[in-house]
Amino acid sequence: MNERQSINQDAQTMLRRAHMEGIDTVWERLAAQQPQCGYCLMGVSCRNCSMGPCRVDPFGEGPQKGVCGADADTIVARNLGRTIAAGAAAHSDHGRDILEVFLETAKGETSGYEIKDEAKLRALAATFGLEDGNRPIAEVATDLAEAMLEDYGSRKDQVGFVEIAPEVRRTLWDNLGITPRGIDRETVEMMHRTHMGVDNDYVNILLHGLRTSLSDGWGGSMIATELSDVMFGTPQPIMSTVNLGTLKADSVNIALHGHNPLLSDVIVQAAKDPELIALAEAMGAAGINLVGLCCTGNELLMRKGVPMAGNHLIQELVIMTGALEAMVVDYQCIMPSVTDVAKCFHTRVISTADKAKFPGATHISFDPHRGLEIGKQIIRTAIEAYAERVPERVLIPGEPVPMMAGFSVEAILGALGGTPEPLVEAIKAGQIRGAVGVVGCNNPKIPQDKGHVTLTQRLIENDILVVVTGCAAVANGKAGHMVPEAADLAGTGLGAVCRALGIPPVLHMGSCVDNSRILVLAAALANYLGVDISDLPLAGAAPEWYSEKAVSIGTYVVASGIYTVLGVQPPIFGSEHVVNLLAEGLEGVVGATFGIEPDPEKAAVMIRRHIEKKRRALGLPFIDPETIDVPAAVGAGA
Amino acid sequence: MKTVFVDPLQCIGCRQCMFACAVEHSRSKEPFLAIFEDPPPKPRIHVEIGPYQGISFPNKCRHCSPAPCQQVCPTGAISRDGEIVLIDIDKCIACAMCAMVCPFDTITFHTQANAAPPRVVATKCDGCIDRVRHGMEPACVEACKVGALVYGELNDIIKEGRSRQAILAANASAGEAAREKDPLEDWRAWGKEVAQVVGGV
Repeated sequence: MNERQSINQDAQTMLRRAHMEGIDTVWERLAAQQPQCGYCLMGVSCRNCSMGPCRVDPFGEGPQKGVCGADADTIVARNLGRTIAAGAAAHSDHGRDILEVFLETAKGETSGYEIKDEAKLRALAATFGLEDGNRPIAEVATDLAEAMLEDYGSRKDQVGFVEIAPEVRRTLWDNLGITPRGIDRETVEMMHRTHMGVDNDYVNILLHGLRTSLSDGWGGSMIATELSDVMFGTPQPIMSTVNLGTLKADSVNIALHGHNPLLSDVIVQAAKDPELIALAEAMGAAGINLVGLCCTGNELLMRKGVPMAGNHLIQELVIMTGALEAMVVDYQCIMPSVTDVAKCFHTRVISTADKAKFPGATHISFDPHRGLEIGKQIIRTAIEAYAERVPERVLIPGEPVPMMAGFSVEAILGALGGTPEPLVEAIKAGQIRGAVGVVGCNNPKIPQDKGHVTLTQRLIENDILVVVTGCAAVANGKAGHMVPEAADLAGTGLGAVCRALGIPPVLHMGSCVDNSRILVLAAALANYLGVDISDLPLAGAAPEWYSEKAVSIGTYVVASGIYTVLGVQPPIFGSEHVVNLLAEGLEGVVGATFGIEPDPEKAAVMIRRHIEKKRRALGLPFIDPETIDVPAAVGAGA
Repeated sequence: MKTVFVDPLQCIGCRQCMFACAVEHSRSKEPFLAIFEDPPPKPRIHVEIGPYQGISFPNKCRHCSPAPCQQVCPTGAISRDGEIVLIDIDKCIACAMCAMVCPFDTITFHTQANAAPPRVVATKCDGCIDRVRHGMEPACVEACKVGALVYGELNDIIKEGRSRQAILAANASAGEAAREKDPLEDWRAWGKEVAQVVGGV
C-alpha cells in the first residue's frame, strides 16, 4: 500500500507510523474525496457570477450552456485563464516581496541583508538599460529596483527581461499581441476578461493566458530569482544531503518550509549565533540543525548547502519523525494540515508572513528591518520546544543521500568554461541529444517521486541532459541522480560529458521561481546559435504537478517555445476545442504544444521523439522518431 | 435486502451522483475518456429540483418487487436478478410501456453502445450490479459526499433512523427540540423566501 503512495523508504516508514497512530495525511484526504467532482475535473463548472453557479453536462443530456450563455469552451478557457493568473500572481508577489526588501537594502534600511553579487547587479542593470558608469553600487541598486517596480505597473510596453529573449521570439510575441506589458497588469486584465460578459472567445482568452504566464516567467519569477542571487549570492555547485535522514536525533531540528528565502536566509545566519548554540547545548542538544523543505529548502540548499528534508508530500511526514522542534513557514504549498499533525507531536509551526497565517501556528511577523533579530527569536522558540521532545517517539528513517545543487546559469556556463560552446558542440555531435527541464510539484494522485524519477532516469540513459527545479529536484536528489558519480546512470555520450566536467547528469537549477533560469539558459543557447528557442532540441515536463503556479510555469514554457508534457490532467477536457488548441493548435502559434501523459515511461518516449524531430529540423544527426518506443521489458511489465 | 436509501433533506443538488453514474456506465469507466465516447454514456440517476432552493431529490429506480415495469414489458426484456431489476437491451423494443407504469418516472430512453445494433433503448439503474458483486458500493453512493444516498441493509438503515427518533423523543420529554436540527435550515428558509418573492411556491 505504501508503495502506491511514495517510492521512497523514508516516506514509507513515516506512513507506517501514520497508519499505526491514526494520523491522517494527504493520501487519506485524497481517498476521502473520491470520486472528485467530475464537472470540476473537466473544467466545465463556473462560479464566476451569481446568476450561477453553473455546470455544463459533458455527457450531453443536461445543460450545454451556463445561465449567461457561456458554453464549455468559454467556461473551460475562463477557468484556465484564472488558474494561470493565480499562479502568475503567486510567483510575482513573491518577486515583489524580494524586490521591496532589495530596494530597502539598497537604501541601507534593512538588517541581515546586503548586496552580495555586485557583478550580477551591474549586469542586470545593463539589461534594464540603466547607465552604470561605475556609479556607487547603492545607486545602481536603487535605480534597478525602481525600474523593476515599474515592471509591475502599467506604464511600460514590455517588462524589462523580455530583452534577453531571442529577437525572433520577441517579434513572434509582438505579432500575436502577447508581449507581457506589466506584471500585475496582465493578471488584473485576466481577472477582468474572465468576468461575465467580457472575453467570451476561448482563443482570445487563452492568448491572454499566454501573455499572463509570460509576465510571470519573464517578469515576476525572473525578478525573484535574479534579485535573490544579488542579495543572497548567485548559486555555485555545492554538495549537500537529502531525505528525512538529514534530521539529527541529538540536535534541535528546524525545518524551513515555503518559497521565499528572505527570512530563511537570515535564520541561517541566526543559527550560527554562539549564544543560541550555547542555549541549545544547555538544553542537552548537540547543536542546531537546519533542514529545508520545498522551495525555501531549494533556495537554501543551492546557496548555502542546507540539507533538504524533502519535497511537497514530505511536509506532514517530517513532523511525524518526532524529532522536529519547529517548522518555520513563509508561504505557498504549505498544507493547512501541518498544524493538525503538529498537535500529535511537540513541533511548533511558526508562521512568518503576515499574508499567510495558519490556525494553530505561532505567528512571528517577519520584518526586514529587524531580520536578524526575528531570526534569532524563531531559533530561540525552537530551542525551547526541544525540552518537550519525547525521545522515545523519535523515529528518523534511514541515512541521507548526497546530492549536488547550485547550478545557476552562471554556474553552468562556468562549468563549461564561460561559454555555451562545449554544450552546443556536444549537442551538435549527438553526444547529448538535447536537454529537458523536469520540474514541478508532488501530487498524491501519483506515487510520490515516481513520475520525476522514472522520467529523468529514462531521459539521462538516452543521453538527454536533465535540469530540475522544485519538488522534481528533491525527488532526483533522493534517487541519487544528482551526484557526479550518477554519470554512470547516464548513456555513454552524456556520461562522458558529465565525467569530463565533473557534473551530475541531472542539474539542480533551484526553486520553482528559478524555472526562469531555464528560460535564461534556453535564450542564451538560442541566441548563441542565432535561432528561436522553439528550434532547439529542448522539452519540459511536469510529471507530478498540482498547483496553479505549475500551470503558469507550463504555459510560459510553452509560450517561450518549449514542448511540455504534463503528468496530471489539467481541468480542460470538457472542451474538445481547448484540448485541441493546447495539444496541437499552439504549434502553429508559438511553435510548441502541451502533451499529457500520466505514464512516465510513455512521457519519456514522447519527449525523445520530440527531441529527435527538433534535431532533424536543425540538420543534426538524428534517430528516426518513429523507431523510439517504450522499452519492451517495461511495456511487458506494465 | 440491500438498497440505496435516499434522504432528500441531505441532498445539496451537486449532481455528483449523475456524473459518477454516467462514468460507471461508460465503456472506459474513466471520466477523462468517458466524455469523448460516442454515444455518450448517460446517468441513470437524476437530481430533480424541488419547489425552492435547497430542496432537490436524487431519483432512481427503486427496484420494486413486484416491479410494475417487469409486469408490463411485452417482450420480457425486464427481469429480476435477486434484488436488482434489470433490462435486457437486446430484447427491448423501446415501446416505453415500462416508463408509463413506473411509479417514480426513472426510466429514460437513450442510445446505448452495447445494444445490437446501437439504438435507443430503455435505460435505468442496474444497481451497479458489477460493483456490488465486487464488494463495492454503487457509484452514486460513493460519489455522494453529504449522506443523501446511503447503501446498506434496508432494515439496518431504518433502524438507525429509529435510534435517532428515540433520542429525539427523550430530548422532547426533557423539553428540548423534538426534531433534528436541519443544518441547512437557514439556507432552505432563504430559498423559501426567495420563492415567495418571485411568486414561485
